[in-house]
Amino acid sequence: MIALITLFITGIITLFVAFLRKPVLVGIVASIGLVGAFVGLACEYISGITLFSEYGGLDFNSTAILFSSVSIIFTLLLVWSGFKPLTENKEHAGDHIALLLFSLCGALIMTAFTDFFMFFIGLEILSIPVYALAGMKKADSLGSEASLKYFLTGAFSTGVLLFGIAWIYGATGSFSMFEIQNAILNNPPSSLLYVGILLVLASFLFKIGAVPYHFWSPDVYSGSPMTIMGYMSTVIKIAGFAALLRLFTETFAPVIEMWQPIIIVVSILSMFVGNLSAIKQTRMRRLLAFSSIAHVGYTLLAVISFDTQASGLYYYNIYYYLFAYALATIIIVTIGNAINDDEDLIENWTGVGRKNPFIGFFVIVAFLSLAGVPPLMGFFGKYLVFTQAIGEYPIVVGLALLNSGIAIYYYLSVIIKALKKPAVETSEKLNISVLQWVVMAFCVIVLLIGGFVLPLA
Amino acid sequence: MELLILPLVFSLVSLVIPKNARKLVALLGALTSIVFAVVHWANFQPDSFMELYANDGNLFKMSFRIGYDGLSLAMVLLTNIVTFLILLGNYENPTASNRLFNSMVFLMQFALLGSFLSFDLILFYIFWEMALIPVFLLAYWFGEKDRKKVLITFFLYTFIGSLAMLFSIFYIGSLSSSYDHEVLVSIEMDVKTAWIVAFGFLVAFGVKMPLFPFHTWQAPTYTKSPMAGTMLLSALMLKMALYGVLRWLLPLTPEAYHCYKYLVIILGAIGVVYGAIIAIKQDDLKKVFAYASLSHVGLIAAGLMIVSIDAFSGVVIQMVNHALVAVGLFLVADVIERRLGRRNISELGGIAVRAPKFAFWFTVIGFASISIPFSSGFIGEFLLIKEILLDNIWLGILVGTNLVFGCVYVFRAYQLSMNGKKSSFEFNDLTLSEIITFAVLALIIVVLGVYPQLLFDLVKPSLDTIVSIIKDSSI
Repeated sequence: MIALITLFITGIITLFVAFLRKPVLVGIVASIGLVGAFVGLACEYISGITLFSEYGGLDFNSTAILFSSVSIIFTLLLVWSGFKPLTENKEHAGDHIALLLFSLCGALIMTAFTDFFMFFIGLEILSIPVYALAGMKKADSLGSEASLKYFLTGAFSTGVLLFGIAWIYGATGSFSMFEIQNAILNNPPSSLLYVGILLVLASFLFKIGAVPYHFWSPDVYSGSPMTIMGYMSTVIKIAGFAALLRLFTETFAPVIEMWQPIIIVVSILSMFVGNLSAIKQTRMRRLLAFSSIAHVGYTLLAVISFDTQASGLYYYNIYYYLFAYALATIIIVTIGNAINDDEDLIENWTGVGRKNPFIGFFVIVAFLSLAGVPPLMGFFGKYLVFTQAIGEYPIVVGLALLNSGIAIYYYLSVIIKALKKPAVETSEKLNISVLQWVVMAFCVIVLLIGGFVLPLA
Repeated sequence: MELLILPLVFSLVSLVIPKNARKLVALLGALTSIVFAVVHWANFQPDSFMELYANDGNLFKMSFRIGYDGLSLAMVLLTNIVTFLILLGNYENPTASNRLFNSMVFLMQFALLGSFLSFDLILFYIFWEMALIPVFLLAYWFGEKDRKKVLITFFLYTFIGSLAMLFSIFYIGSLSSSYDHEVLVSIEMDVKTAWIVAFGFLVAFGVKMPLFPFHTWQAPTYTKSPMAGTMLLSALMLKMALYGVLRWLLPLTPEAYHCYKYLVIILGAIGVVYGAIIAIKQDDLKKVFAYASLSHVGLIAAGLMIVSIDAFSGVVIQMVNHALVAVGLFLVADVIERRLGRRNISELGGIAVRAPKFAFWFTVIGFASISIPFSSGFIGEFLLIKEILLDNIWLGILVGTNLVFGCVYVFRAYQLSMNGKKSSFEFNDLTLSEIITFAVLALIIVVLGVYPQLLFDLVKPSLDTIVSIIKDSSI
């Protein structure tokens, strides 16, 4: 709870600090706020005392704290990584960072809600600032398109969600997760409830960008600025999965036989559509968009097989997978920011590894981790998710491994491009700030050793 | 533990030392690891297991057990010696003072040692995959032109093969409480489960060896890689697969052993004949030796499936022999290419007159590769062919043709390149570092050919264990 309040207040302070027209000051305030929120979260967890504990709408249990803390860390990394593009326009430097902070408040609510009311509010607080941020570059027509597209599809999915919530309320007579679960357990589930769950699920798949609700994501990803794309594919996904877990593996767990087959199909489709579409992409952000669809497919494997695990472990598996995925994405986002290329062609990555050998190393680590090559963290993420699912669904895991084989092709071609000698020798160096080095170094070190030192929670 | 860590340290160190010292430091590094391995060998009791590290922290069900028995130690010695010889043979090349080159060779050595020392399946997989990256980068940075497509094929091929193994690993892991070698060996499976698990392993090992239908990546990759890359691939990386069969496939899935026994023997036999026939017709020296390697490995793979102590001893000594001969043969190709800029047999000829020392050492390595008596190859091929003959006479005759075909392609390559009319081109004779490389190779081959007990004493207890595991459960 402290974290939420801290972030909200920091957001407002950031807006006021922005009047001074000093982006650095905005960055410092935001960083302090984010670190403060993280510390607050840790303190609450360690001491076990929560602020406003009598308020039942939000429940920061250990799972929520796990997902919230990584959301805060990744937002901090993204603010540092994209500090220059975010503050390029001095008039709006404060707005952009403040919007990110407000959106993060929504992410925190999404991880900790206990009733549909808070869930809905969290989802909206998470989404609305990002609609604006997607169109951050006002002169860019693609950016405006992305913003509008994201807003329209997002608003539509919100409508579907509300509709679903209404049906569930009709079936169970409550908004509270706990009471809904009781109602499902005590009464035979009605078709009213099934329709509600289906609609809620559809809107979820919309938010995390799973097939068949994935069409918005390549366009929106490729139109948005790199940093915002990074935010969409890390923090929003983490928050989305946290909420998905809370709703489906707890509240709707008694009717698992109804939603499980759907998610299995969605998972397989997401993997295939994501990986096969990514092969032919020529733009980096579109490639990342399709690869993120594929990764959503892998992650959903852990959701469908949650009942095979000892209590709570599947949370950790999903968290670990998304953590590894997000770290690699942030490295790519940071390098993309450094290349600073509006066209966003993969061609323009040619030779970045030659310009600076460290960048070459970072590119190798990031993409191999996404592909799941050991000993990087991405491999252990796949390991956790796949071993969890293999007992019950060996064929699906076989398909997922086949997909990892497809995926290595396009990841490898990017690596090869980055290491290749550029056709035209350019003397211009990559412009990388100290903060970006810190971000990349942190991510790479965690990816390299994370598989061996991160203790099992 | 220093056995494993040392190459990693040298891999990092070689990135920072100044240019003129790089060659020497790399050689010294490789020499140090040999010394460490020999010290371990001297203190080793053949029938014991030496544990270097273990951590039962229950992280990912891994035990992180690193250690060695006789078989692993033999492979470690082989890896360290061959790495040293690769660096020594490469001493005259400009790549020898490239920091990335040395770094990648040591990283490769680290990954190989790791996979030989791992007694935890996930750890084995980690090192197995890790070995792919340095050899890919070596070939990518220092290889010949038009290599990109070939290398992507190579990476995809082996990576997808490994994913099949990963599936098996996850599958067997879901039946077990830990990925530790002992725990996995003690699992009882029904034939169907064992077959599913074995299939994944077979695909991965078959691609890496390579066995007959999975061999298409081999010749192009060997040709496009730089010399050191080719040597690492053929001398060491494929030993990982053969070692993997001995250490993991056979002990883990003895229940399905009778299902895949003849499958592998027949594929191996096809590889023997097929590789040899193609090798006879090749013009590119590197390709001749690449297909020769396919042929030799086919024999080893077939021998792996005969469960007896003689066959396994033959496999181990033939693994060592193949590694040494591969280094020798590819060095021959590189010596010619370095001096003339080409290695097509049809454009060579008459080198023996210009370079008598080179001709001598080529002959020695050539004889070793066709396994004449007093070379280690003789012991290995004799044991393998004998055991396959005893199992099935027709298959034995088929793989026995290896000896005949071997003579044909090696002598053809030798005759057309070294003999003939006096050449029109200059050819400088071998330098000191190259002579030392050849001499060390020849020395080890002859010592093992005269006194193979040296190796057999080391590996026999581990092989006995493997034989007894399979015998116990398949009856």
